[in-house]
Amino acid sequence: MRVTLSDNETLVPSSGKYRNWRIFNVSVWYIIIAVVSISMLFPLLWMLTIALKGNNDVYKIPPEFFPREFHWDNFIKGVQAINFGPLFLNTVIITVLSTIGSVASSMLVAYGLSRIRFPGRKVWFYLFIGSMMLPGIVGLIPLFHLYLNLNMYDTWFPLFLPAFFGNPLYIFLARQYYLSIPYSLDEAAKIDGANHFTIFTRIMVPLTRPIWITMIIMTFTASWNDYLNPLVYLYTDSKWTLSLGMASFSGAFAGVATTQWNLYMATNLLYMLPPLIIFFVAQRYFIQGLSSLGSTTQK
Amino acid sequence: MPEALDIRMRKRSSIRKQTGSGREALIGYLFILPSIIGFSIFVLYPLVMSAYYSLTRWDGVTDPVFVGFKNFVYIFTKDPSFIPSLKATGLFALMSVPVSLIVGLLLAVLLNRNLPGIKLFRTAVYLPAVLPSIAVLTLWKFIYNPQYGLANQFLSALHLPTSTWLSSYEMALPSIVIIGLWGVGSTMIIFLAGLQSVPKELYEAAKLDGAGTTRLFLRITLPMISPILFLQLILQIITALQAFNQFQVLTSSSSAGDHGGPGFATTVLMLHIYQSGFGSLSQFPQIGYASAEVWVLFILIGLITIFTFRFSSMWVYEESNLD
Repeated sequence: MRVTLSDNETLVPSSGKYRNWRIFNVSVWYIIIAVVSISMLFPLLWMLTIALKGNNDVYKIPPEFFPREFHWDNFIKGVQAINFGPLFLNTVIITVLSTIGSVASSMLVAYGLSRIRFPGRKVWFYLFIGSMMLPGIVGLIPLFHLYLNLNMYDTWFPLFLPAFFGNPLYIFLARQYYLSIPYSLDEAAKIDGANHFTIFTRIMVPLTRPIWITMIIMTFTASWNDYLNPLVYLYTDSKWTLSLGMASFSGAFAGVATTQWNLYMATNLLYMLPPLIIFFVAQRYFIQGLSSLGSTTQK
Repeated sequence: MPEALDIRMRKRSSIRKQTGSGREALIGYLFILPSIIGFSIFVLYPLVMSAYYSLTRWDGVTDPVFVGFKNFVYIFTKDPSFIPSLKATGLFALMSVPVSLIVGLLLAVLLNRNLPGIKLFRTAVYLPAVLPSIAVLTLWKFIYNPQYGLANQFLSALHLPTSTWLSSYEMALPSIVIIGLWGVGSTMIIFLAGLQSVPKELYEAAKLDGAGTTRLFLRITLPMISPILFLQLILQIITALQAFNQFQVLTSSSSAGDHGGPGFATTVLMLHIYQSGFGSLSQFPQIGYASAEVWVLFILIGLITIFTFRFSSMWVYEESNLD
């Protein structure tokens, strides 16, 4: 809509035509954004309706959107079908270990790279972030055989041990953040007799809270969602993570000819819940952390 | 004499530095030790070993047999499944990367306003990106179910033709690209941050000179966020070429137990490598061959990255490009 002005008129914020144009503009925007948001969330909504349907409702043709009855017991049946409880516990343990390892080691390494003056620190920094360019696949087969030879196949070690050796992306992010903290703090602490480790634990860790909270969220999500590594390294069912359990769900239900999708969707919702909760709780930090990858920091 | 004084002071301070710096260096290296070890085990070791494996024939059980470059020759000349696999990977990258960059950017522009409720909408768009990939993939597997899935339900409600989605040769890859689009929220957030870091004065100055919306976008917004665009482009290409989860989970045919989708349409390289390296129902593990494939993919990624970097100076705006 083009606002037409007569000869004597100008588009000034106080003019009536400007207000009309603005109201129109904003309303159209809200409509578009509502449509976009609803379409993004719609599959999840649909998932919920499937999860609540009874067995006969799911396979109706023509399909109905809302369930006839609300089968809340689908959640319980689904959980039982794939041994959800133990798998959940497995995943939690692995994820917690990975998170502690990644965050602690990355913060330590980034501290060393940014706040200690030693020869070669720039070279090592570039080497570390350069390793990000290395596609993960190159390591897949050699590392698999390495773990095999170390008798770590079918254990959880390959899943959380690497975390303790630093994560290049986190090191990069943390170092960026560290560089913005003035060195006068370090020097003041040194005068008071602190060594580097004390400075790290007493001063830097509290100061860098947004960064390591972001790291915790990112590691948690990455570990909880990981599929390839558990697929490769875990053989025994009882040691599986939730991602493996959920992927094989159709296999577990393949006792019948078709997968029981309503039970599956119910369990799927439960599987999605922890990352969702973490996301909502720590949303502020998460978006802040991701944004640091996007904004141009001039330091 | 000032020069003599300088020399004496310089000597004194350099001596002081030498006794202090040795200990500093040790502590420094202690702090970064985890990453040094990590680099050796998880970067150097795989590079060397996979290069070695790629020159052997090995089934994982018996001893490896050195065969020189035979694996590579076989890949490019005799293997009937490699070239289609390469094609599928290339097509997938070509489809998913531009689409997600454009959609991510558009969404970021759309959500770059300060109107009430904006945070809610941003969360809504970003939400699917947080979900576990297996959860997402299995959900979409059902959405694409020809009889009971949401996709065909939606289409037939609008009286549009339906599709067999994942089993159809033409629609298999696009179906998977659409799933990727559902997770475009993370790209959007990064672009949003970039958009918000463009100095407002630039826009004001341009508007004073009479620039319209399109001009503003093309001449100010795009150049100012081009470094972020560039970074995202590289990262997305690298990720797209290594995509695995979606192809492994969505294209299993229960009868043969093999994955790969209709006529290799969705057997991307990573899946092909996984099948070669760990074996499937129809073949023993061929670790040497899989390693060779890994190196082909690696070199491919490297070449494309370098190529993109070379072209970047043409359209990426950096402070140094001014002179």
